[in-house]
Amino acid sequence: MKRLVTNPMILKELQQRLRERRAWLLPTLYLLVLAGTVSFAYYASTDPVMAGGPREVQGADIGMAIFLTVIFTQIVVLLLMAPVFSAASLTIEKEQRTLAGLLTSLLTAPQIWWGKFVAALLYLLLLLCSALPLLAISFAFGGVEPMELLKATGSTILVLASICAIGLWCSAIFRRSVHSTAACYGIVLVLSVVTAVAFGILVSHWQSSEYLARGEGPPAYIQAPLFLNPLYPLLSLLDTGEIGKFSYPVSSWLLFTALGCLAAAFAMRSIQRSGEQL
Amino acid sequence: MIEVESIRKIFRGGRGLDAFSLRLERNELVGLVGPNGAGKSTLIKILSTLLSADSGVARVAGREVRADPRGVRASVGYLPDMVGVYQDMRIREFLEFFADAFCLKEPARSAAIERALARSGLANRTDDFVEHLSLGWKQRLLLAKTLLHDPKVLLLDEPATGLDPLARIALREQLKQLHAEGVAILISSHILTDLEDICTRIVFIADGKNVSEPPSAIDAAGVLGPAVRCEITYEGSADAVEKVVKDSPGARTLENKDGWLVIELPGEKKEASAFLQLLLAAGVFITHFETRGPDLEERYRRTFGGRSV
Repeated sequence: MKRLVTNPMILKELQQRLRERRAWLLPTLYLLVLAGTVSFAYYASTDPVMAGGPREVQGADIGMAIFLTVIFTQIVVLLLMAPVFSAASLTIEKEQRTLAGLLTSLLTAPQIWWGKFVAALLYLLLLLCSALPLLAISFAFGGVEPMELLKATGSTILVLASICAIGLWCSAIFRRSVHSTAACYGIVLVLSVVTAVAFGILVSHWQSSEYLARGEGPPAYIQAPLFLNPLYPLLSLLDTGEIGKFSYPVSSWLLFTALGCLAAAFAMRSIQRSGEQL
Repeated sequence: MIEVESIRKIFRGGRGLDAFSLRLERNELVGLVGPNGAGKSTLIKILSTLLSADSGVARVAGREVRADPRGVRASVGYLPDMVGVYQDMRIREFLEFFADAFCLKEPARSAAIERALARSGLANRTDDFVEHLSLGWKQRLLLAKTLLHDPKVLLLDEPATGLDPLARIALREQLKQLHAEGVAILISSHILTDLEDICTRIVFIADGKNVSEPPSAIDAAGVLGPAVRCEITYEGSADAVEKVVKDSPGARTLENKDGWLVIELPGEKKEASAFLQLLLAAGVFITHFETRGPDLEERYRRTFGGRSV
């Protein structure tokens, strides 16, 4: 257990990652994008034309609009960044021919995996934390509970951890970074878009006025494809009845956890056998 | 230190190892020689735990490679054929990382790093980035990293590839020094002159199998046997020398020009001594006489000459 915390891979990975130019470039771009969305959310919720007519603007509405815009924008942006940090981390060792050095040292496959995983996730957490001041703006307007922020952040971290694990698995099985990154983006695309399309198809075939009459959303088996959608945990957590009836966050969490664990197990197995690729 | 018994490894493409055996004792520096695709790298990768064999037994420092890979890694230093280093790390950071990867604890950790820096000649460049080193210096750093945990066995796969002559000389000297310190070394290389200079023994391999060296000369009775090469500087008639060569059964002139004679005789040093006496008896004035076995290049040609590359 102690070796998991004092793993030399973590220090090495962070040292190398923070020396890259993108170490400061990406957070800058990320914060600029989020700042833009906060401004947009503010004007959209206060501008009478964009809000759909003149009405009295409540501070809580502005707060909630900013909060929702920021957390959904940040998960989309981080989903685009996660493959970059995870899917190339083992292939780069193969490309620069340093993997043999790791595999013939006393580092075990789980230690190598853990070091890469923690380093990739920590960088994404750094981005997530850097956006906290922007999220705090929503508190100034009110309408958002700290528990909602905690739930949204926890859910985002869980989804990102799963995507990082999937990225590392791609990195363990492919030899080239370009292939593993493409494969990881493909998986993210399937999880994000294909699940939504599948849900749309199921909903279009589902006709039940009984549920609608009770003010409930589609039943679990109709929503099932969405459980693997990275946005679903956020949708279900923040479901106030206005943006939909997505009420199975725990199922989604469990599926993402299982997906991450499976990817981790396969990745460690592949690392153990990666001497064949050298 | 290394025991390999009938090891077999077949790749999907076909090439690998086929019942290869090898024994390497402590204080030996053994050269592994063979054509491309002979199985040299496969053998070294199996011994360094990077590959697993399909069958057979491989032991390093008394530990079975398949059963105790971690124990083997603790006793082995592996240097691959291509220099793989973290370009964006400083030299000290690079060594510190691998010291931690080999679970070295203080004060042994710091001592090992200082020793590695001194051994590689990089002690005054510890804060330089690895990417600023030349290939030769990177190879020295890599060898120093390989030796951080004081391995009992060193496995080197084409370590001189791409090195300039000075870097090769430095590498040879380092390997001689390590051999003198008692490290068992198995080295694969195509640079035969280097191997000839440092190795205590050569093992031939082709198509994944052990290859035994063919006998090198035909003796008077027409039987293949060992041969000795004599290099002679003389003063006097070349015809007289040629006559002595002709009268010596199985002798073959390789060169006879301007008082410089190189011949190959069946037999060993005793036969060379008899030939020298014949020359002296024929009145040839000898100023230099030296006997040698066939050099590695010659042995390689004899062993693999018929094989296509």
